[in-house]
Amino acid sequence: MNEQTLFELLQQQGVSRRGFLKYCTALTSLMALPASMIPTVAHALESARRPSVIWLSFQECTGCAESLLRSHSPTIEGLIFDHISLDYQHTLQAAAGDAAEHAREQAIKDNYGKYLVVVDGSIPLADPGYSTIAGMSNLDMLNETLTGAAAVIAVGTCSAYGGLPQADPNPTGAVSVSSLVKDKPVINVPGCPPIPTVITGVLAHYLTFGSIPELDSLGRPKVFYGQSIHDRCYRRPFYDKGLFAETFDDEGAKKGWCLYRLGCKGPMTYNACATLKWNQQTSWPVESGHGCLGCSEPDFWDAGSFYNALSIPDGDYTRAAGYAVATGVVLGAAVGFTNQKTKATAAAQHTNVTVDDFSLNKKNK
Amino acid sequence: MNNEAFSSLEGISVQVENPELETGNFQSILMEIKFSLEQLLEQKKSHIIDLRAMPWSPGEEHKLEKYLGKGEVHIELDALGKSTFYETSYSGIWVVTHYSEDGAVIAKAIEITYMPEMVFSQDEEIKDSLERFEKL
Repeated sequence: MNEQTLFELLQQQGVSRRGFLKYCTALTSLMALPASMIPTVAHALESARRPSVIWLSFQECTGCAESLLRSHSPTIEGLIFDHISLDYQHTLQAAAGDAAEHAREQAIKDNYGKYLVVVDGSIPLADPGYSTIAGMSNLDMLNETLTGAAAVIAVGTCSAYGGLPQADPNPTGAVSVSSLVKDKPVINVPGCPPIPTVITGVLAHYLTFGSIPELDSLGRPKVFYGQSIHDRCYRRPFYDKGLFAETFDDEGAKKGWCLYRLGCKGPMTYNACATLKWNQQTSWPVESGHGCLGCSEPDFWDAGSFYNALSIPDGDYTRAAGYAVATGVVLGAAVGFTNQKTKATAAAQHTNVTVDDFSLNKKNK
Repeated sequence: MNNEAFSSLEGISVQVENPELETGNFQSILMEIKFSLEQLLEQKKSHIIDLRAMPWSPGEEHKLEKYLGKGEVHIELDALGKSTFYETSYSGIWVVTHYSEDGAVIAKAIEITYMPEMVFSQDEEIKDSLERFEKL
């Protein structure tokens, strides 16, 4: 733990009080807290110390790290990263070799009981040889690094739920962090990759309040994963009116109608894409005309084709829609239940994607 | 990544081709603003609406800004990048936008207040000014 406070660090960099308040305003918005919390955040940050962070990359594609590291410096994400002490990230430190491993061991020793561990990637249990770092298996490195950790942040769906490596037939015996770690708080930040502002939002929460945010039943921070994509989607009014694009180039698609029938997994997916968006809030998949893939949900790779609707809104939907006149929540729950069931069936049957799924003239079953 | 390209995109006015494509947040925010204006007058209580915390259809946010218009006061602040504050054509309603040093929007809000808090000189820095004067 660095003894210098964040406020002192900003002052040293010549940041004015107004600059500090601006930083707190952006941070409060980033953490999805109400604006009335800005003075509280400012007060907390005046005495916050820089936490040590050890970042472990296991069976992953580096997309999660790219999502964060390629975010637009010097935005608020960049500033957050300046204000944690990132003591180990082997992808970035590969050239340092043995010295990088010593840095990890030193960070554990110096910050025992206080440091954060960020993990991206799943852990192979079938054979440790599938993924090793400096000759050490992922499992051994995880166990060794966790000994003095305050909490673990599982970044990305591979780390949070097993992700692509765990998809059927799971040749490496990949498992998630939470299936192995039972004695430390685990915060899941799923997504393939997660939104960079969500990753930094979770780090910012710890930095500001010294605690972990409130989590849902799948270990995700409620503040970012508390609502479904569907409920926050700007195309939702079309769903409620029963107006759907049937192909990617029909009139409905051109008018921006709901993408549910084209396989959008928004109703069963909990994530913040609809509000935080991507690439400096330029757009997000649905705004770009493609349905949500459900990448922040467990087993999304095995849930059938991305282009088949999970349930067609002319069967059970009609009945659910009747209730929706009274309350939209019931509709969400009813369709959500149907979707979960369909997803489970698809996972059990392990439906393969075929070339027909990509046909613009395909008929929904 | 060419951030200038992203920044300049904001200069292109967005025309919504399909007026049906709205979330309904436009009307909700107008109601919240009206309620907050009443609170400001009666209880002197300010309120901030974070525009980044809600979903918008393309062009809907622009529609809100256009509806509120621009009033007499425009303020620009230069701290950790630019920030702009302008009172809308409705007195007491301000649009506040914070940019990063490379021009990307990092926070945007509507403030219902007499003057956004950040514009005022800050006590900590006034004390610092005084100390500097005492050394003269």
